[in-house]
Amino acid sequence: MLEEEQVAFFLASRLITRGNKGTLLLTIMIIAMVFVNLIFLPSIIAGIVVLFNQQNIDYSYGNLVIEPREDQLLITRVGELQQKINRVPGVVASTPRYSGAATIVSKGKSTTPLLIAINPDDEKQVLKIHTGIASGDYLNDGDTGQILIGTTLAGNKDQTVDRTPTLGGVDVGKTVEVTFRNGVTRQYRIKGIIASGQFSVDSSAFITRKELDSVLGTTDTANQILVRTQTTGKEEAMRITLMQYGIQEKIWTWQDKSADFLKSIVGSFDIINVISTIVSLVIAVVVIFIVIFINTVYRRKQIGILQAIGIDRSIIIKSYIFQALFIFASGTLAGCALLFVLLQYLTASPLVFPGGPVAPVLEPMLLFRAIASLFIVSLIAGFLPSWLTTREDLLSAIRG
Amino acid sequence: MIIGSNLAKIYGKGSVEVRALDGVDISIRKGEFVGITGASGSGKSTLLHLLGLLDRPTSGSLIIDGVEVASLNERQRTLFRLNRLGYVFQDYALVPELTAEENIYLPSKVRGMTVKECTRACRDILGLVGLKDRVSFLPGEMSGGEQQRVAIARALINNPAILLADEPCANLDTRNSTVILELIRKLNKELDQTVVMVSHEEWHQKYFDRVVVMQDGKIVSGGE
Repeated sequence: MLEEEQVAFFLASRLITRGNKGTLLLTIMIIAMVFVNLIFLPSIIAGIVVLFNQQNIDYSYGNLVIEPREDQLLITRVGELQQKINRVPGVVASTPRYSGAATIVSKGKSTTPLLIAINPDDEKQVLKIHTGIASGDYLNDGDTGQILIGTTLAGNKDQTVDRTPTLGGVDVGKTVEVTFRNGVTRQYRIKGIIASGQFSVDSSAFITRKELDSVLGTTDTANQILVRTQTTGKEEAMRITLMQYGIQEKIWTWQDKSADFLKSIVGSFDIINVISTIVSLVIAVVVIFIVIFINTVYRRKQIGILQAIGIDRSIIIKSYIFQALFIFASGTLAGCALLFVLLQYLTASPLVFPGGPVAPVLEPMLLFRAIASLFIVSLIAGFLPSWLTTREDLLSAIRG
Repeated sequence: MIIGSNLAKIYGKGSVEVRALDGVDISIRKGEFVGITGASGSGKSTLLHLLGLLDRPTSGSLIIDGVEVASLNERQRTLFRLNRLGYVFQDYALVPELTAEENIYLPSKVRGMTVKECTRACRDILGLVGLKDRVSFLPGEMSGGEQQRVAIARALINNPAILLADEPCANLDTRNSTVILELIRKLNKELDQTVVMVSHEEWHQKYFDRVVVMQDGKIVSGGE
């Protein structure tokens, strides 16, 4: 270490160890809180984004979504295509779907949700909707005359609490009337109510593909095939692999499908995050600045005398920067400890959100950003007051 | 050693102009113990501030140890104070969080001594001022006289050419004042240290080689 820095460090260490412990501890605690605040909200937001992503994969899209070719409305020869897809290395399973709007009526209440025709056994291997049965049972492959209703679509007896059109509180065992787009109307018994936490699922209805084929007169067609892969996060590579294996249909990743939705959510959270970060950093600047400023004002005379006996102002400034950095380092360490406890607690008892439990996700970049910004803030807050004080006229400073 | 010619220090402008020093000529030889006395407001502290490079003259020339100090920039002045001047303040001006040894350690370390050299020099100088047993005492744990002796040791640690003392006994009783004056006198004789001391106590004058008397910003006697 250089001579000047050694002296500055020596001076800072003595001022810290023999100065006012109460003020020092309080300042460190405030910085620790600021640090926690810098990390906590973004980690919760990251947790929410992870939850949304996982929900999209588990309940809406799987990892990949295969849709009809450019000039076609439907995927034909679905069975053959599904076998081809399932043989591709890295694919766990696939499930064909046929979805479209249908009008459902129950006791005079009518709404037009998305009706999705599925192969229940295939669905179980790709999605987790079957785990979200709130009452009744999930569909079986051969089921006809039965329907699954999402909990949002089922609605409440007191319709004033429903925010979207519903069936007014239908339940398992009741019958609803479904009118398809070809004009056919059939009665269905509600086999189960789904409460997945995913709005798009909970506001839809499900029947088997066998049932839909009998209504529409179609065979072996679908407008989507959802694919579950072994690894999440390598969808783009799997898309290319599927193409290499001769799949000529359009292939989307779940990120492509949920991009707009996610962008709008992440965008909104980012605004909250930026505001919270700025407020936290301003608090940190103000606190460290005030502490160092009061310290330098209180020691104005002493600073003047140190200069008078030949201690260069740069040494004095550096000693205050060292003090600020000590506050930063201790505050950050204390903040890390607090955060660790908080994260452990929230991982054990996650926050309950409408989409499911949210545990905070601590990303290394977030941690680095918080530490770096607090470091810069501490440098500024340590430098500025000491620079201002040492700029004063020497005699005025000595006179106090 | 010190040659000040036609030194003036003027505060304010126009009708509120105050001439704290008004054409002062002073010369001090190496090894001299010079006392500056005068009534309050006579300019004795202002002169000491100029000699100690704590302030700049409005006009005039000041040569210390062969250097025209008026032309030095702020960093050069700080270095000059560190290497060639020792300053003792009226109220001791020790850093309260540093022990006696650490207060003295600071200027020697800045000058580039190793920790070992600093420690030895600090112990030696504390022995010289009779405070060997107060090495690790904080200022708050020492009497006023002891604190002032630590301040003198701090001023002397870098073996400066000139020791400047601004009423060093002002806050001390007669017994402690005598200790301090005898110490400064002893250092002056034994180390051939040039000493310039401001004092308004008449009984201090017996310690001085020469007394400079100031009145209304001018030297009325002893300026040589």
